[in-house]
Amino acid sequence: MIQQQFDSSKKRWRTILGIAIALTLFTFLVNVSLGSIHIPMMTIAKHFLGLSIDNESWSLILSNFRLPKAITAILVGSALGISGLQMQTLFRNALAGPYILGISSGAGLGVALAIFLGFYVGGFLELSGIGRSWLLVSAAGAGSFLILIVISLAAIRLKDSVTLLIIGLMFGAASGAIVSILQFFSQAENIKAYVIWSFGSLGSLSWNELSVFIPMILVGLAGSLLLSKHLNALLLGENYASSIGLNLKRTRILIILNTSILAGTVTAFCGPIAFFGVALPHIARMLFNTSNHLLLSPLVIFMGAFLMLVFDTIAQLPGLDATLPINAVTALFGAPFVIFILLKKKNLNYSYQS
Amino acid sequence: MSLFQTKNLSIGYRDKTGNKVLQKELNLTIQAGDIVSLMGQNGVGKTTFIKTISGLLEPLGGDIFYSNKPLSQLTPQSLSKQLSLVLTEKPFSFNISVLELVALGRHPYSNWIGLLTAKDKEVIEWAITETNTNYLAEKKLYQLSDGQLQKVMIARALAQETDLIFLDEPAAHLDLHNKIEVMMLLRKIAKQGKSILISTHDMQISTQLSDTLWLFNFNESAKIGTPEDLILDGSLEQTLYLKDYGYDMIHGVVNIKQKGKEVTVIGPEKEKFWTEQALKRNGFQIVDNGELKIEIKNGHWFFESQEFNSIAKLLANLLDK
Repeated sequence: MIQQQFDSSKKRWRTILGIAIALTLFTFLVNVSLGSIHIPMMTIAKHFLGLSIDNESWSLILSNFRLPKAITAILVGSALGISGLQMQTLFRNALAGPYILGISSGAGLGVALAIFLGFYVGGFLELSGIGRSWLLVSAAGAGSFLILIVISLAAIRLKDSVTLLIIGLMFGAASGAIVSILQFFSQAENIKAYVIWSFGSLGSLSWNELSVFIPMILVGLAGSLLLSKHLNALLLGENYASSIGLNLKRTRILIILNTSILAGTVTAFCGPIAFFGVALPHIARMLFNTSNHLLLSPLVIFMGAFLMLVFDTIAQLPGLDATLPINAVTALFGAPFVIFILLKKKNLNYSYQS
Repeated sequence: MSLFQTKNLSIGYRDKTGNKVLQKELNLTIQAGDIVSLMGQNGVGKTTFIKTISGLLEPLGGDIFYSNKPLSQLTPQSLSKQLSLVLTEKPFSFNISVLELVALGRHPYSNWIGLLTAKDKEVIEWAITETNTNYLAEKKLYQLSDGQLQKVMIARALAQETDLIFLDEPAAHLDLHNKIEVMMLLRKIAKQGKSILISTHDMQISTQLSDTLWLFNFNESAKIGTPEDLILDGSLEQTLYLKDYGYDMIHGVVNIKQKGKEVTVIGPEKEKFWTEQALKRNGFQIVDNGELKIEIKNGHWFFESQEFNSIAKLLANLLDK
């Protein structure tokens, strides 16, 4: 009888996962096809199958712009979703997200230093193309990495997770303050460059950058699947978790490292994309009504990919020349969606009892 | 070989001003198949003791041994194969099914990704069947009552396949029916050779269920013995501060001293017992040859040649006087 119940829940999960994957693939095609220039789906299918397309510029747009952007969207969506899920379970807090430990603030500080101080050294604005984007990536990456080191040191010393959360928030506030001071003494063009970075962007990655971005995110995603078993143990609360054999300290540090790799990489390459990582785990938990990470983690990965593709499709305003900042689109369209599900499902609090 | 042993263990909390010792010089042992009850007043350190011996809190001094191995040398994983816990705290997420909860008991045994083997599923099925919770298997935790949740938490502990199970107040918040079910379940588990330690305030659990009683007192060393010995020598009364109220250890009721009229009740045991209860509650003294005499025959109460068909009517008449 128990075996049957295991089988039936596995079957239901496979169906849902299948739908999520199919949706992701479909949206991927739609995403690549729409934009300032419409490219028919048949042509895209041909392109991916390796057949040559008559239209030279379409082929160029596809391989140099649309494809990198769609891949970025997929990886960013799944990375932010899964790291948000990890943080919400680790901190037993519905408002936690990938940036709760101050990763994005650290990145922001790094970028602000690069832009504003760089102005005095050599001039950030004079840099162009690859040099400029790699400078941003390394500045943001260094900032996140610094925060990661401090938080990890705290995690080794501290016994409880909530203190860690507050330390993360304090770092966020402090680095926000430094950024404000830097902005205050800066010139308009520099401030604009910083603000544009903080809007987030999925379209600024070339294959050159993707060759670093893709492996980093894939390592993080694989890590998060391996952590699912331990995250499930944490659902019982920390005392029970250690009573069923979980090494709390090690698990906590592994989760923090994993989230930092994912959120840090995303922020370094695409800027701080807020909201998404907080909202997506809720959407997934409410739709599938489970907190079991063995089931939830793969679903969150594919739902993240699917939804980020949808938001990116909206952001590139099909038929128009302009592109909206991805940060604005995710919140603008995501928030009403979350509210709608909250009102309809009413099952949020089941996941957060104490 | 003892499954569990403490040597000169002292427990409590550390803070800035020093150590706050709750209990010290604890030398306690659990043998295979034992049911041990731990009793004591609120704040005497029962939960602290359970958390300390299960490695959740640091001991202030002394040693803890599992199968003669010191606790400090056991990894969380190897400890979790010897000891399972049922605490007073609830899981933080209720959005998992009972099956998923019980499956978490297999955490120490499952592989790195958490997939369950056929053996794991067998053990889960056994744990659910033992606790009579098959009908709950597909329910979510938020759909369960307190009693059901307690039983599935015990099922989860069983799925851990440990020789020792520690339970912190397993009967608190449970109604009588559920309490008896949990008691029966624990007895069944012990018969299968598992050792159980229960921290409890419940007289029935401590006296009817357990083989050994540990009594924790304030400013005094812990007492160890069979429940009956500790009742007869007055230790239990002393530990629970029941002396002032005249606790009736045989019936398990509190005797509040009365100063009213002396009454004698004659009749079948059951009716006599409950009639006396009602009289005591209303201030009468029950004696052997009292000034008032009540007789019970065929479910009717006779007093001064009047007949009553319920205790309520008898009481109304008596109180009128």
